Amino acid sequence: MRGQSGKAAWAVLAVVAAVAVPQTGWWDTNHTVFAQAVISGLLIGGVYSLVAMGLSLVFGVLDIINFAHGALMTVAIYASYLLFMNYGVDPYVSLLITVPLMFIIGVGIQRVAINPVMDAPVHNQLLLTLGIAIIIQNLALVLFTGTPRSIELAYARNEFDLGVITLDFPLRVFGAVVSLPKLIAFVVALLLAGLLYLLIQRTQLGAAIRASAQEPEGAELVGIDVHRIYTITFGIGAACVGAAGALVLPFLFVSPTAGDTFTIIAFVVVVLGGMGSIPGALIGGLVIGLTQELTQLFVPGSKFLGVFVVFLAVLFFRPEGILGRVRR
Amino acid sequence: MIVRLRQLAAASSRDLLVLLAVVAALALVPLGVSTFTLSVATAALIFALAGIGWNVLSGFAGQFSFGHAAYFGLGAYTVAVTFTRYSISPWLGLVLGGLVAATFGLLTGWISFRFGLKGAYFALATFALAELLRLTFNNFDFVGASIGITIPLAGGDSWGSLQFEDTPALRYFVALGLVALGTLIVIAVTKSRLGSRMLAVREDEDAAASLGINPLRAKLFAIAISGFITALAGGYYAMFLMFVDSDLAFGPSISVLILLRPIIGGVGTIWGPVLGAGILSVLGEVTRSLVRDPPSFLNAIEGVNGLDQVLFGLILVVVIIRAPDGVIGWFRRFRSRSIT
Amino acid sequence: MRRTTIYLSLLLSLALVAAACGDDDAGTTTTAAAESPATTAAAAAATTQAPATTQAASTEPPDPILIGSLHPLTGGLAGAGNRMDNAARMAVDEINAAGGIASLGGAPLELASADSTGAADVGASEAERLINDGVSAFIGTYQSAVTTLVAAIAERDGVPLVIDVAVADSILDEGFANVFRIQPNASSMGANGAKFLNELGGGNIKTVAYLHDDTSFGVEVSAAFAAAAGQYGIEVITDIPYAPFSVTDLTTEMAQAAAGSPDVIVVTGYYNDGLLAARAATDLEVDVMAIVGIAQGAFHTPQFVEDFGAESELFFNSNYHFNSSDPKVAAVLAKFEAEFDDAMDTEAMLAYQAIYVIADALERAGSSDPADVRAALATTDITDHFLAYPGPITFDATGENINAEPVLMQVIDGEVQQVFPLPLRETDPVFPGTPWGG
Repeated sequence: MRGQSGKAAWAVLAVVAAVAVPQTGWWDTNHTVFAQAVISGLLIGGVYSLVAMGLSLVFGVLDIINFAHGALMTVAIYASYLLFMNYGVDPYVSLLITVPLMFIIGVGIQRVAINPVMDAPVHNQLLLTLGIAIIIQNLALVLFTGTPRSIELAYARNEFDLGVITLDFPLRVFGAVVSLPKLIAFVVALLLAGLLYLLIQRTQLGAAIRASAQEPEGAELVGIDVHRIYTITFGIGAACVGAAGALVLPFLFVSPTAGDTFTIIAFVVVVLGGMGSIPGALIGGLVIGLTQELTQLFVPGSKFLGVFVVFLAVLFFRPEGILGRVRR
Repeated sequence: MIVRLRQLAAASSRDLLVLLAVVAALALVPLGVSTFTLSVATAALIFALAGIGWNVLSGFAGQFSFGHAAYFGLGAYTVAVTFTRYSISPWLGLVLGGLVAATFGLLTGWISFRFGLKGAYFALATFALAELLRLTFNNFDFVGASIGITIPLAGGDSWGSLQFEDTPALRYFVALGLVALGTLIVIAVTKSRLGSRMLAVREDEDAAASLGINPLRAKLFAIAISGFITALAGGYYAMFLMFVDSDLAFGPSISVLILLRPIIGGVGTIWGPVLGAGILSVLGEVTRSLVRDPPSFLNAIEGVNGLDQVLFGLILVVVIIRAPDGVIGWFRRFRSRSIT
Repeated sequence: MRRTTIYLSLLLSLALVAAACGDDDAGTTTTAAAESPATTAAAAAATTQAPATTQAASTEPPDPILIGSLHPLTGGLAGAGNRMDNAARMAVDEINAAGGIASLGGAPLELASADSTGAADVGASEAERLINDGVSAFIGTYQSAVTTLVAAIAERDGVPLVIDVAVADSILDEGFANVFRIQPNASSMGANGAKFLNELGGGNIKTVAYLHDDTSFGVEVSAAFAAAAGQYGIEVITDIPYAPFSVTDLTTEMAQAAAGSPDVIVVTGYYNDGLLAARAATDLEVDVMAIVGIAQGAFHTPQFVEDFGAESELFFNSNYHFNSSDPKVAAVLAKFEAEFDDAMDTEAMLAYQAIYVIADALERAGSSDPADVRAALATTDITDHFLAYPGPITFDATGENINAEPVLMQVIDGEVQQVFPLPLRETDPVFPGTPWGG
């Protein structure tokens, strides 16, 4: 099973590479652009992974299509922005606030709105989360106006002397550029992914979450309060976008619709990686990041065309995802 | 099961009577309302029709589609392209659009169902397909790419080119006729053996298969009929707006608009989409006017843009929690509760 | 029995629909007339004199004239849409404070705001609502696709539409009699952009890489530029479209644009994507003579300078602009900022201007009938306007503003300065000029 998953992962990467690997002559003139596409893809892919992990948990454990995921991210971006503007809190420090804040908001939303529809048909759940997204989006519009806002980190283009090596941002790697905010977002996203993985795999709470996802009735029998686990899981899902929101603020912008793009991307990643799978979401995010940037190279202006093609291919041919288990 | 089918068959004559009554009632709308109101009502009917189509696949056959904009858009583009490029009458264009959409539904449905997609996965696949069409049409010069297609005015009323610039009531009546046609198809389907097969597949695919029903065929029939009806709506919407572009045809918001009506009205019911369309139109007007021109004690909210949407979202959330079977389901439960 | 009840309730709710729809004049904003000092004073006078019945009739203020304002007030473009709506409201308040429309007995204006939500079909429906509510004319709509549909409705119903912002040439191609446009169209944007590049580089700019949004806005402007550039010997060597509303990063796109070593990178698009493009160019330190926006929504705005800080230095943009050397304009900007706590951009100024254009037509028409307003609009000749145009606002037979031209601006020392054409120049451009000293 594991070997097969690995093979599938490589197969997807190979397909991407096959599309990407150019005809002779092309490489000489375009290797910088190619390097840029790969690096940009990986960097944004790390953020996609983080966003998708939260969604994957919610999808895998609660079996809910949460279309408010991106809207929750918008809340986090605003929170980080307001902390920065009003109290001068560095966006990365604001993680310490946005993550628990979004956890609490997630718990509240699950209790009030999601719990009553846990057994409802898919379309009701989807429409409900869409309703929540509409509310969040337009509350943001009422409270903060629609004017997009953004911040620039004072130290984004500084030189950092790390003793052994001096890093002059933005870094140059194979002629491609790596900006500090994107690098931090990428690294922190990976760290958080690792933490989340440990939480799910190595803790009692994680065991309870896994049990609730696989055998809700069985979990109930062994004394797990499945509804409480659902609530906590939704909270963790929201906490993931709480982190992602603070991480993207320095290189994106904030507006009432800023997080929306991430919803669809996250669904693609979740399906690609297999629902409920943290490593799957991680790999899926990177693959989708790469796919979108490499598609841009060869079909300019159609980033998401490639993304949806990969998405459908996975849906049809490997619906359990790259690393996912077979669906119930 | 069998008893249920008999009931359905018996009810169909009543359904036809109700259809007649509803059409007669709705035919009175153009009397004494403004052109604007008539336009709103026409658009509401068009989306009701799209919802009727959605309901066949997602309500009766139980395969939740989150990408019905695909069929809507194929209908819209077929009418616009055949009319502007080949001077084909929109009437024929509507039928062609329906066939194109039905074919698209059969092809993609066959792949999806063959690979066992269901539930959330099927929904996401339909969403992705609609998005693929949107992105493709947005970059495809033959269909106007990002600029879209403007349908030229024929001048005045013309039944042949399905344009009623002078008499908006005719535009409305055509929409009403299409809704009646869509409803007729649905009544016929639910009454037929095909319909009972769909219902059986919806309730329990394995059990249906053990009864000798081919689930794949039932679902494919559903998707083709569903796509056809929704494409009629899309095609007529193109004539209604005299314009189509990739966002209006295939946008995710179109998919949401389509499924919103039947879900609010009642999924898998004959009248859910029409009822939902009526309720949503009224609801939209009420929330909008509440924010534009609030009662005096709410003066603070006047002109606060977005608040009507917040209110709309709240109502949506409450309705889904409180009336998960839509308004018709809610009535039914209310009835059975008051009887006992 | 059960079914019958359902059907009865169904019919009842349908009747409700009809009833609710019949109530036609719900949903009109009345803030403008109510807030205006002139009218409140008049209203107060009217109430105090009410008991003395004989005088009431003569002092009664004339009926307000309804003007529509149709913009995306919710959705992804709500920022720009609300600023434009606010600016229109400010103009209406000013006109009312100054005594309303004199030729109509001092009738005040009343602004009816409508929300297109950024969707063409909603915009069309809202245009019908405004017309149904009885507007004498209306302004809008910020987006070309929405304006295309709205213009057709204005023409059909014979109610004049003054386009504040919407660039596509095709909107006026149909020969509509009731549609007028204040801003330069795509052809003008593209042609003038090419002309400015030629003047700026003194003929040294030969190759251009073009990065633009893939909506009709970016597609039309970039095509118009490419068509006009040839006569100056400028060639577009790379054309990179991107989807503006879902984009989160433009580094790869910018690298693609820079790959062919163009002399200049040209960018067309909205605000958010413009900011991302500027960030990408700065990170990459692209080796070009300049980054030049053409009809770019960010590079010439005070917000861009505020958001992007010192990195915004030396970016060019050829776009419509308010006349920043005019003290009257400075006063309007200051007033807007004080009133709405938001920097006024040129889009908002165009909406503000559009209201004054309609007020001027009403004044000359001496009638609020849409047909009369249309006739008066056709003979508009406003020299005392707020925009950086080479001449008065005056419309040709198709409804285009003859003097609508963009200006080339550059961010210099944290200020957006006009550098071309020469009559409007505030300071000399820095060229070649990129913040990273390319």
